[in-house]
Amino acid sequence: MQKAKQCLLRRLREADASARLSCAVMGLGCLRHGQVAKGLLYLAAEGLFIAYMACFGGRYLAKFGTLGDTAQARVWSEELQIYQRIPGDNSMLILLYSVLSIALCVLFVVIWRMNLLSACRACERARAGEKQPSLRVEARALLDERFHVTLLSAPMVSLLLFTVLPIVFMVLIAFTNFDADHQPPGSLFTWTGMTNVTDVFLGNAVKTRTFFGIFGWTMVWAVLATFTNYIFGLLLAVVINNKLVKAKKTWRTLFIIPVAIPQFVSLLLISRALEPSGAINVALMELGWIDAPLPFLLDERLARMAVVVINMWIGIPYTMMTFSGVLMNIPSELYESAEMDGAGPVRRFFSITLPYMVFVTTPQTITTFVANINNFNVIYLLTAGGPFSLDYYQAGKTDLLVTWLYKLTVDHHDYALASTIGIFIFMLVSLCSLAVYNRSRAVRKEDMFQ
Amino acid sequence: MKKVLCALLALALLGSAALAEEISLKVWGSQEDQELLAELCEAFAAEHPENEWTFTYGVVGEADAKTRYLEDPAAAADVFSYPDDQIIDLVNADALYEVTRDLDAIVAANTPGSIQAASVNGVLYGYPMTADNGYFLYYDKSVLTEEDVQTLDGILAAANAAGKQVQMDISNGWYLASFFLGNGCTLGLDEDGRQVCDFNSPAGLAAAEAVRAFCNDPAFTPGDDSFLMGAIGDSVCAGVSGTWCAEAISEKLGENYGACKLPTFTVDGEQVQMGSFLGCKILGVNTQTAHPVEAMMLAEYLTSEEAQVRRFEVRGYGPSNIAAASSEAVAADPALSALAAQSAYAISQQVLAGFWTPAEALGAEFEAHSTADLQGLLDQFVAQATEG
Repeated sequence: MQKAKQCLLRRLREADASARLSCAVMGLGCLRHGQVAKGLLYLAAEGLFIAYMACFGGRYLAKFGTLGDTAQARVWSEELQIYQRIPGDNSMLILLYSVLSIALCVLFVVIWRMNLLSACRACERARAGEKQPSLRVEARALLDERFHVTLLSAPMVSLLLFTVLPIVFMVLIAFTNFDADHQPPGSLFTWTGMTNVTDVFLGNAVKTRTFFGIFGWTMVWAVLATFTNYIFGLLLAVVINNKLVKAKKTWRTLFIIPVAIPQFVSLLLISRALEPSGAINVALMELGWIDAPLPFLLDERLARMAVVVINMWIGIPYTMMTFSGVLMNIPSELYESAEMDGAGPVRRFFSITLPYMVFVTTPQTITTFVANINNFNVIYLLTAGGPFSLDYYQAGKTDLLVTWLYKLTVDHHDYALASTIGIFIFMLVSLCSLAVYNRSRAVRKEDMFQ
Repeated sequence: MKKVLCALLALALLGSAALAEEISLKVWGSQEDQELLAELCEAFAAEHPENEWTFTYGVVGEADAKTRYLEDPAAAADVFSYPDDQIIDLVNADALYEVTRDLDAIVAANTPGSIQAASVNGVLYGYPMTADNGYFLYYDKSVLTEEDVQTLDGILAAANAAGKQVQMDISNGWYLASFFLGNGCTLGLDEDGRQVCDFNSPAGLAAAEAVRAFCNDPAFTPGDDSFLMGAIGDSVCAGVSGTWCAEAISEKLGENYGACKLPTFTVDGEQVQMGSFLGCKILGVNTQTAHPVEAMMLAEYLTSEEAQVRRFEVRGYGPSNIAAASSEAVAADPALSALAAQSAYAISQQVLAGFWTPAEALGAEFEAHSTADLQGLLDQFVAQATEG
């Protein structure tokens, strides 16, 4: 056991030649000392890796530096009377398979190191005259003292494969010029370094203005959307929960009804109703309150107000529901003793209800805030980012970063720029949530709850 | 021994001749066109018994063709239809085979406008399938006379007199361009494939003033197709849209259903005809296909005169084929004949994706009755639309 702590290099120096040769021929050390099955497995792993690199991965990795140099070419075929295509490189596939191959290389290095460790251990056991454990014995250990490895390997592998690798791929795209003009197989894209980042933050006047304009509105929106829902949901819950209010269940049900309609249906309907000739304008004109239709979706300020108000209508039922649950859980002794000490309803609200609420709901509020930064549905379905502005690059005055990103990818195939913005949103959201979450009382004083 | 060998060789030759080659092709079409597409493909297979054909159909509408193609060119259909405004991006990605077989026959059979729409820098990249993606005027005959609909001023005067409204989706660059194109502005591509747009020229400024006057008229109403289809005959007496609304509008208006070319509008006291786009749906052959020649044969068949006539009968699409377009059935269709009348003033849509959002922003300024300096707006618009 002591030896396990020594560094691998020293152990290798002390071990026999077969262990040292395992550096080149994997599994040799195990084979030499009678662990045949294990040795063969290592050898097979090496063989598979070399075969993969030779037949598939190597081709792509070799072009990783340039992301391909020859686009699909064409030659005239007299026989068929067509321009035949000669397949060229595809930057996207090169990038994709290179990332995969690099991941496999890392995995291979890990296995290679395991192989050296096994070889050293086998040699040490042989010198000490211990029995070499068979593969079956070592496999059984996976169900016993090394059971954590068995349990965690599946989630770890899927996390790496389906989350980490795609993220690495996307992040790399931010450093290329993958946009509408560089679409494989006809024209390839390549590395451009930090161009996209500098474009957004410094260089390109229109893009910088768009980015900071949208970023500012995104934050304003996230704060407004979160706290209007929080405050009004809380007030509604407190009012309904008041002893004086009759038929509490009926009230709660009435306010929950908007939740029962799929969100996108109500949003699309409201978007229609807000149009110059939509239901709301027509109704207001029939009533004689206005002479001309109000430009709900055409005027910057009105459109921004409209999305916040409609978001309240959609969000308040949810907060009310949560808060009702929390309110009912506040021990009534607290209120009774406060009442005996002469505290009025306002005092009771600010000294008991509110601190209790804030304590319990802070983590949820952070989640809501982050969700609002990325609140795609409400904005995209209601205004689609409009009113569009000539000041902005392919964006409108109610666009959030995330809806702008959507338009850049789907409508304009500007993947590189979109990826840059995506990275920024990721950093923003994770920093926000980490900072606020770690400072919230619910986390710092977890044990103090009740 | 020799005899046996000869016999074997003969057998092999016979076998290869008798055994039809198996060709499997993937075809994309929109959901509504699937049935017709399958019918036409089967008819094609029946005409070409020399091969064994297998068709797979994918539901990908024209509007999504480019996006879905670029996701994975190798997995995309061998033959797919796309609207002409996607042709530039597709050619940039080298997605389309040039039409080189039967080129002269295809050019001769289709209208010059549709051939132009399917070409980039003079090279034909697809087989024109329909030529009805344009717009014209729908009107209510009980409110407007044939005299009124000749000029925009006439329409507005009659609409105001009757207390009705006139719809046009100004905050959509596709319709907004009508005024600018009519007054002689340029919207197209240069040799490098960059957007060219001179809406900020003096002619463009004059057109923009006309748009502002139109939008500030009490009878003007914005709104999209679904608004027009719902409101025409009630609060709206005329609107600008395309053939896709024809069925709904003719049902709504009944015998008052009218369709004609766009009116003229007033620039410096003179009447100027409104321009428009005329778009086509085009069948393209994927450069990644394993059977280019067969795929081209199929595309040519699917856009032939018979196929286009059948497409008009079943789906009501306006043909790009000259013979099919001049048939009596097509001429009797009011919407299609209005489109044909307007097509004299239409250009093909050589517009990059970056044009639309700024155009929508410009249109929204007009709809919101903005009083901002027009020249400044137009300069800003042109800078945005021609960037990138």
